[in-house]
Amino acid sequence: MDAQLQILSEFSSSHHWMWLWPEIVLAALALALLAVELLLPKSDRWLLRISLGAQVAVFAALIAGLVGGTLPTSDVALFAGAIQPTLSGHLMRIFFVGCSILVCFLGYLYLERRPLARAEYYHLVMIVTAAMMLLAQITHFVAFFVALETVTIGFYILVAYGRNSSYSLEAGLKYMIMGGFSSGLLLFGIVLLYGAAGSPTLIGPAGDPFQFGQLGAVIAENPGNPLIVIGALLVIVGICFKIGSFPFQYWIPDVYQGAPTPTTAFLAVSSKSMGFYLLYVLLTGPFLGLQSILVPVIGIMTYCTIAFGNIAALGQNNVKRVIGMSGVAHAGILLVGILAAMRGVDWAFQAIFFYLITYALASFAVFGVMCHVAPDEDANQEREHYFGLMQNHPFLGGVLAVGLGSLAGIPPLAGFVAKAAIIVAAFQAKLYLLVAFVLVGVVVSIFYYFGWLRAAVTNPHPEIQGEPHPVVAPSVGSRALLAVLALASVVLGLYQGGLLS
Amino acid sequence: MPQLAFFSAISSFLEATHAATPTLAPLHLLIGILAPAICALLIAFFGSRLPLGATKAIAWIGFALPAWCALWIAGTYGAVAQSGEYQFLWQADLGLSKLLGIQLMLGVNGISVPMYVLAGIVGLAAGAYAIGSKVERQPLYLVLLLVMQSGLMGIFSSVDLFFYYFFHEFALIPTFILIAMWGRTLSSRKTVAMELTIYLTLGAMITLGGLIGLYVSSGAEAFNLIALQEALATGTAPTQIFLMLLIGFGILVSLFPFHTWAPPAYSTAPAPAAMLHAGVLKKFGLYGLIQIAVPLLPSGLAGYGGLLMWLALGNVIIIGFVTIAQQDLKRMLGNASVMHMGYAFLGIYAFSVMGAGGAVLMMFAHGLSVSLMFLLADAVERRAQTGDMREIGGMAQTAPVLAGLFIAGTMASIGLPGFANFWGELVIFTALWQSPHPWVAIAAVAGIVISAIYALRAVARIFFGEPKAELAATGDLQGWEKWPAILLLAALFVVGIWPRGFSEHLDAALAKQYPVKDVAVPVATVTDQSHAH
Amino acid sequence: MTVGLFHYLAVSGLLFIAGVLGVLLRRNVLVVFMSLELMLTASISALVAFSRFNATPDNPMMGGNVFVLFIIAIAACEVAVGLAIIVALWRRRQTVDLAELKGMKQ
Repeated sequence: MDAQLQILSEFSSSHHWMWLWPEIVLAALALALLAVELLLPKSDRWLLRISLGAQVAVFAALIAGLVGGTLPTSDVALFAGAIQPTLSGHLMRIFFVGCSILVCFLGYLYLERRPLARAEYYHLVMIVTAAMMLLAQITHFVAFFVALETVTIGFYILVAYGRNSSYSLEAGLKYMIMGGFSSGLLLFGIVLLYGAAGSPTLIGPAGDPFQFGQLGAVIAENPGNPLIVIGALLVIVGICFKIGSFPFQYWIPDVYQGAPTPTTAFLAVSSKSMGFYLLYVLLTGPFLGLQSILVPVIGIMTYCTIAFGNIAALGQNNVKRVIGMSGVAHAGILLVGILAAMRGVDWAFQAIFFYLITYALASFAVFGVMCHVAPDEDANQEREHYFGLMQNHPFLGGVLAVGLGSLAGIPPLAGFVAKAAIIVAAFQAKLYLLVAFVLVGVVVSIFYYFGWLRAAVTNPHPEIQGEPHPVVAPSVGSRALLAVLALASVVLGLYQGGLLS
Repeated sequence: MPQLAFFSAISSFLEATHAATPTLAPLHLLIGILAPAICALLIAFFGSRLPLGATKAIAWIGFALPAWCALWIAGTYGAVAQSGEYQFLWQADLGLSKLLGIQLMLGVNGISVPMYVLAGIVGLAAGAYAIGSKVERQPLYLVLLLVMQSGLMGIFSSVDLFFYYFFHEFALIPTFILIAMWGRTLSSRKTVAMELTIYLTLGAMITLGGLIGLYVSSGAEAFNLIALQEALATGTAPTQIFLMLLIGFGILVSLFPFHTWAPPAYSTAPAPAAMLHAGVLKKFGLYGLIQIAVPLLPSGLAGYGGLLMWLALGNVIIIGFVTIAQQDLKRMLGNASVMHMGYAFLGIYAFSVMGAGGAVLMMFAHGLSVSLMFLLADAVERRAQTGDMREIGGMAQTAPVLAGLFIAGTMASIGLPGFANFWGELVIFTALWQSPHPWVAIAAVAGIVISAIYALRAVARIFFGEPKAELAATGDLQGWEKWPAILLLAALFVVGIWPRGFSEHLDAALAKQYPVKDVAVPVATVTDQSHAH
Repeated sequence: MTVGLFHYLAVSGLLFIAGVLGVLLRRNVLVVFMSLELMLTASISALVAFSRFNATPDNPMMGGNVFVLFIIAIAACEVAVGLAIIVALWRRRQTVDLAELKGMKQ
């Protein structure tokens, strides 16, 4: 008995469970939410309050820990090296919790008007967020795959959440096929890497080839091994499905359109940011030895992504599809940052992280407005629904203008500083042609972002376009939230503080 | 006794400020940017609850304070600056300094002071005109103009290139909105605004790429002009960056053949927006070439100077003929302003203290005269209910003050002696005459004949001939139309008769970066040869 | 002929390619879904083979075998969620043919 206890205590102390408290708290509260719903039926607001309260507390505690320096640093390895806390990982954890708070709030706005299950939405968002937070620190492929699948399977349900809408179910099915496909490719890539790096015929085979550090050492020694190259490419393809870079973007328009708006926001911001962080970790970590192959591959992908995203967004009239395709263009710009990081620009992560923050702020502002304007059938959000918005709801119109302006990268909004930082990084990495691509892409993006805004400032003629589309007046809470988001986009454009250093 | 700048003559109260310590100067630079921005915010948030009179009073403050700051800075700069270096430097770290070396850095030198004053004066005139005119949703109209004014004051007081660009965009976005919402005709304004947005954003993006390329390839630790100059004094940057800046700035200044946005935009824009854009904001590109591109990349000008010369001649000659063919008054003015930009480009092409000095003088004079002309053209159009010059006539009888001012403005923009434009053109021609290709000067002088043709013909058509009956009741200029015009004309006249007050500090600043060709000319006398390097 | 690592890898490679082609080419959702499982199966067989053949006396390479258990559990989750979505969609649309699911084209 005593011996068993000792094993348990050794187990817990060597694995440092306690450092994972934010994830554990989130997951436990997510489970508790299900119980709360059973105990307190018809308590929509309470569900929201509990989930928001818990996440805000975790968010605040994480920020306090980061500022106060009480979070574990990179010299602590958890779970025998499966989890490795880093500063960038902590930043991403905070980012994911922040996004999760906003998604839950948008989810409330969405569920309020529909006869759907309540608690499960918050539950899933919190579980997925906890998995994303784990992913931000994982350095072992087994844990990596399990956490990634937790995220992916959670998203299947979140996308298909509008059970009474065939659009939502169709989007869920398409996302499931694409998600399953990308997971299959990723898994096979992991297996090939495992087999190649563990093979005793190579120079210095790894004891545990799933571990990023050991895998990286093997790859650095054997960069030409075909199994390693194919495996690494498959892993990257699997992740590129998540970020929607060309040619793995074709699921985006349908899924973004059909998914409930808060889920679309979750996909567009959190899922995409997670993909980028994983790409960054892998490409500047274990795959560093494959640079001569991966830099050209990702370079070509970046050109195509920027070009395709911008051109495809031009032809869309459904605003969710516009956001989806413009998100592909943003993915292209972020890939430029990744390329800069691969070519040795040491501050590229700051630029990418700052870009993600500004992208999240602006996107959530826009999605927040979309939640208020959306008709009952959530998938059919056309540009025409925005006619007269600026006149009838100047607050929503103003937030939309700030959000779209920041996405387009117009000074003095935060999106401009973020784009400028990426461009400087690209210049330092000598990616001149890509810089030109980014700049032309920005000009093209003006078309579709301003086309949307133009609809908002157009005053419809009752005889021609009919009465203006009914818009849900924002409550005090959503007014406050949207105002904070818009204000943050403005303030971060003028004053970045320590965020970029 | 230091030479006082001519601006002190405009208002004698400035004499007293010379005694004030120059440490107050950064505060004035800051107020010049912040005052309009704060007034814009006040109107934006409380405009719907305030009576229109109070809104207008706030707007008055927002336009008057920058003008006052501009004059104060000019007077103080004239009293203290001797070296042509940047003065009144002030900086604040906004978070980008560690990573990118970007700081909000304000200051002025001899090149930027004239432009700063131009922004102040034209801003006041355009603001006064906008406050007086009757437009729909006037509070929002004033907010956008105030934001524009804030950006304009920022452009010419920024030492940091990032913020120099930033303020430009800050002023540009309201222009698009102003055209889209208050443009001349309901049918065309959204299309024109969209075209303008795309075209100018393209130019701005190329410029941004060029500026960032300059920063990265210079190896400087900071984005400001002083640090870049130090870094590039020893190192070099690729000359392709000059081409990028030339094209980017060229699009923004309507260099031939990138000018096609200008005539429709200016003929559609509401008058105050056209005044601020054509008068001041457009000078961003020329200022960028003179202050940044040419001094930092002289080898670039050597490589692409020929290209610049041909394009600038295209502005003067080809657009000159296009201007003659115009029937619409504002469209003619839009084309004319494109044409006159050619002279400034030619001045830059000459690559000498004199040429660049002439270009700055030209920019200053053109800024005042073109905004004067847009103001008066708007007044003409409102009375005639049309912009087609064939359908207007005999206005001199019903509106003699308007006619007088319009004729004076026309004379100024043709370049008659007595107005600032004359000196600008004269100095540029002299500089061109000394350049390796003197024939360019002859071709440029031919442009004067062209502008005389279209300008005098416009005067003849509008103000003389058979008066139209329906014009009789419309009357002459009212106070809110008259005084801004007189302010602009007075400024043109003051520089026209006393260019020396203008040129001394300009020469000192230019002589640090441009080669001096030692021929005495009436205006651009290089007072202190020791500044040449 | 002894069956070696190469043979296992060839089989798993074929399974994987069959799965990929099935996902990309077939139009019936259920067949596509099976093809997805085929891809996972390919990975599982390769994992086990690698673990077995790469093992040395001082490193038994058990990680791969453990991973297989995780993959099976995940595949089960995926099937549960996936079939639920397919059934719900069948109820609304009466079809599970991907070619007919084009409700959201412009």
